Order: sequence, then C-alpha cells, then structure tokens
Amino acid sequence: MKKILFMALTVLITLSLAACGGTSEEDWDSSSNIQVYTRDTSSGTRSGFMSGIDFGEAEADDSVLVDGFVIKDNTGILSSMATDEFGIGYISLASLDNTVKGLSFEGVEPNIANVINNTYGLKRPINYVIRDLDDYANDTEKEITLAFIAFLETSDGADIITNKGAVPLTSTETWDDISDQYSVCDADNTGVIIKFGGSDSIQKIAEALTADFAPRCGNFTPEHDHTGSSDGYKRTQGSEKDGDNYKHVGFASRPFKNTEVGTVGTQGQLAWDAIVAIVHLNNEVDNVTAEELKKIYSGEYTTWNELLD
Amino acid sequence: MEKVNQLHNKNNIKWKNIVDKTTKTFFLLSTLISASFIIVIVVFIAQKGIIPFISDNDGLGSVNVFKFLTQRVWLDGPTFVSSLYGVGYIIINTLYIAFLSLLIAMPIGVLTALFIAKIAPKNLAGLLRTVIELLAAIPSIIYGLVGFAVILPFIYNLAKGFGVQTAGGTTVLATVLVLSIMILPTVTALSEVAIRSVSKEIELGSLALGATQTQTNFKVVLSSAKSGIFTSAILGVGRALGEATAVSLVAGNARSGPSFGFFDTTATLTSTMLQGLKETIGLDYDIRFSVGIVLMVVILITNGTLNFMKRKVGNVDVE
Repeated sequence: MKKILFMALTVLITLSLAACGGTSEEDWDSSSNIQVYTRDTSSGTRSGFMSGIDFGEAEADDSVLVDGFVIKDNTGILSSMATDEFGIGYISLASLDNTVKGLSFEGVEPNIANVINNTYGLKRPINYVIRDLDDYANDTEKEITLAFIAFLETSDGADIITNKGAVPLTSTETWDDISDQYSVCDADNTGVIIKFGGSDSIQKIAEALTADFAPRCGNFTPEHDHTGSSDGYKRTQGSEKDGDNYKHVGFASRPFKNTEVGTVGTQGQLAWDAIVAIVHLNNEVDNVTAEELKKIYSGEYTTWNELLD
Repeated sequence: MEKVNQLHNKNNIKWKNIVDKTTKTFFLLSTLISASFIIVIVVFIAQKGIIPFISDNDGLGSVNVFKFLTQRVWLDGPTFVSSLYGVGYIIINTLYIAFLSLLIAMPIGVLTALFIAKIAPKNLAGLLRTVIELLAAIPSIIYGLVGFAVILPFIYNLAKGFGVQTAGGTTVLATVLVLSIMILPTVTALSEVAIRSVSKEIELGSLALGATQTQTNFKVVLSSAKSGIFTSAILGVGRALGEATAVSLVAGNARSGPSFGFFDTTATLTSTMLQGLKETIGLDYDIRFSVGIVLMVVILITNGTLNFMKRKVGNVDVE
C-alpha cells in the first residue's frame, strides 16, 4: 500500500512540475494555425464586429464561420488570449487591458482618443432620435424628452455609458450645471410615461441611463421596448409615429440612413460602440484590415503566415 | 385523589394524541411541498420546452423532433431565421465526458475512501474526512475558476508539448479533469461510508483464513461495499451530467461535433443551455428549455441503467 501511495504522490508532483515548466517563453511560430474565438450569436458585440469587417452574414450564423471556432463571452475571450498564443478574438474596447495585444485596425491604434476623433474604424455610432418638437401629447412629455437628451451629453450620462462598455462623446458639464434650464425636472412627474425604443443591442445602456435619470427628473416612468435600429426612426418620426408602438426616444446602433433624416435638433449621437481585435502578446501581428479579419473568420486564412505575407 | 390522577392521565393521553396528529399533518405537508416542487419544475420545463416543437415559432417553422435529437450541428442556418436546431452530438458529448470523468474519479475516490476507512490512523482519517467534506461543499463556480485559471493553461502547454495546438486549453480533457475533481469528493465520501459499514466479522474472517490485510481490503472489504460504491458512482454521474457553470468555462462550447479527441473543443447539454441564455430571445431562448427536457431524460435513463446494474452486482457476497 505504501508503494501505491508513493507512486501516486510521484505522479502528482510530476504533473504539477510539468504545469509550471510549460510556461517558458519560446519563439512565436507563425506557421501555426489561427484559432478563432467569437461571441455567441445573441451578442451585440458580435453583430458590431461582423458588420464592421463587412461579414454581415456571420452576425447570426455560426455555419459561415471557420471550422473549430470557440464561443466565449467578453471576459472569456480576453483571458483566453492571455494563454492561447495563436488565437484571435474580439472584445469591446472598454475591456482591453495589457494582458493581451489589441490590434490596430487599418493602421489606427485602438484607443479611446482615436475612437472619439473618428479615425479608428472598427466601431459603430450609437445615435438617438426624438419626436418632432411639435409632435408631443403635452408639454411635460416634450420637456422631459429634451431634458433626457441634454442629460446624455453631461458627464453623468457619460459615466453610465462608460460603465456599460461604450465610449461616450466628450462632455464637460455635469447634470447639476445644466439642470436649472429644465424646470420640468423640479416638478413631480410620477405617472408620466416616456417611451424608449429602437436598437436592441444598446438596450442595457439605454436602461441604465433612464434608471439613473428618472429620479433626477421627477420620477417619470421610462418604458423600454427595444426592437431594432430601424424602429428607432420609424416609431418617432417615421411611418409608425402615431401607431400604438410610438416612442418618444428611439436609438439606432448605426448611422441614420438618408431616408431617416428627422427635423432639425431631433437627432444626435450619444456614444461609440468600439470593438477591438485581440491576440496573444507574443503574436507578431500588430495591424489588421477589415478584409484580413473577414478572411480569418471565414476560414480563408488558416495560418498566421498567410496573414503576415 | 385516584380519580384526579386518572383524569390527569386521560388528559395527558388526549394531549399526546393531538400532538401526534399535528406533527403527522405537519410532516405530510412539508413532504407534499417538497414533492410538489419536482412536479412544478418538470411541468414548467416541459411546458416551455415543448413550445419549439408544436408552435410555428413566429414564422420560423416548428423544430423537427427527430432532427433535433440526431443532428450534428447546434443550429443549421442563422439565428432568428432558422429553426433547424439539433442536440444529437451534444448528447453523445455529454455522456462521453461524464463517463471519462467517472473513469478518473472512481479509482482515485474509492482508493482514497479505502485509505481513510481502513488504513489511515484515526487522527489522520478524521482530518481527511473533514477535508473531503470541505471539498464537496465548494461551489461549482470556484471549480470552474480553478479550471479556467490553472487547468486550461496546463492543458494548453501539455498539448503543445505533444505538438498539438489547442484553443487555449479549452478541450475535452480540461472538461473531464474539472469534472472528475468535482465529483471526487462525492465519490470518496459515499464510498467511505459504504466501506466503513462493512461488518467487522467478514473482515476478521478473511484475516483468520490467512489473507493479508491488503488482500482482505481489496477482495473482501471492497466487494462487500460494492452496492454503496455503486451509489457513489450514481451520484457522481448525476453531478457530472448536471454541472453547467464550471463546464461552460472550460469546454469551448463547440457548435458541431461530436468531439472524441482529448484535445478537441466540446459542448455539453448544460453548457449549451447556459450560453447566451441571458441575451437571447424567441425560439433561440425557448429551445434551451427543450435541451433541458433532453437533459432530464438523459439523467433519468443513466440513473435507471446504473440502478439496474447496481441491483445486479450489489448483493454482499463473499466468495
């Protein structure tokens, strides 16, 4: 019995030693296969990434992706890239840290400054549209809607947007600085319902914003019904603006189309949703293009050599 | 005086009866509550899980049951457009992984149990028993994190040593390792109880016949404790089949398969249910309840089979 125990102990020790020994740095072998990581089809980051690299059919379809891909969540992909030297994945820019290498996109480094000055390309705007200024049931609803839009541009709004992983536009004023201009927020607005809709991929951001803003503005009741970017304009100023599904504020996680131009002062941008392609720190690749990413995710490029050539 | 005493006794008996009846009703009630939860859960899962097969899922068309049970990809076509879901390969993956985990955990667990129950000095045995109980009480997410932070890099480097490139270590092997670590305490604790309850006479009889302690331990004690050891296997498999959190962190959630290679990514029924559950809607959400039905059926069948096997081999017979 002692012998068996001794053997078991030896095996255990060997295993733990092997685990420590394996981490030594070696030269990065570019002939290795590319291991693709992706988010689940229900992820907003995935649809942003796939549309950003012009691979729209992969937004919700796993079968067009290269064989052998791995599905993980934002954190899962981030920590996998710290281990897997030959992997590639994508995360929201807010999660990027120095345990992985964030790839430049079309030659532009991924950082918040480059997102705000609009040079970094792998991103999509988060826009809002409100009803025409003459098209509210009463003044209270109109004033609250306008106050909400003003709140989006304050640093209080920006903090919430940052917390939810998006990049807000630069803001200098706090809500307290400008709240004097919105006297409606001093009144008791209990029972006033303001309806929010449009893009579903930014529903979490929108809900966080209204949850924070409602107590600041007389406790009005925000109602969220997010059905997709196209409904953002349609239900505020478009064909469904007077229907049962009408909204006060609509969101779109893409630029407004030519057919979606509203009246002056009713549309704007509140943030960027920026995504960054990441690889292991040892990886020799520093920059990718949309075309290269598409070739990687569709399986046209299978080894890192093909990308480096 | 006598009369008073009698009266007192009578009252006492009456009172006792009332207490008896109340406790009985109370116990019955709590049994009913806990039993009804099983029914509530089964009905709820079945009700939600059946929707994809009988409704037209908002125009996507109903899911074909036969294809669902045999298909080798999770979803044929785009999400929210196609209704061609399938779990055939995932059922195979799940059983394969549970079987491998048991293959690792059983020998280690039973030998540990034997050591604690028969060989270790009393103090050490007590300490080890506490350690095993503590291990059994660790929540699965902790095992998942350990798997994620320790086992994945280990497997990645191990595979690299063999010249195999893995997806950051997310493999069948990693899943099996995490699961076997998780079911080890269950197996050990139950086997230990079974081994300890083997009657001393049988053991002494074997020793008296000239068998050594080691021979007795393996040939007499273990085979007498067979039934209890089998029970530990049943509970271990139950945990292996049902574990979701830890598995989804290390499995890689493959969308097609089955995967038999140790260094392939894989997916289990539970990890598939968990993936994207909080973000998705419509059919893609409902279908996860259908996977839940499949999981319950798989667990029922596995447990039934193991129970049947247990009855076949379980009698205490010392040859």
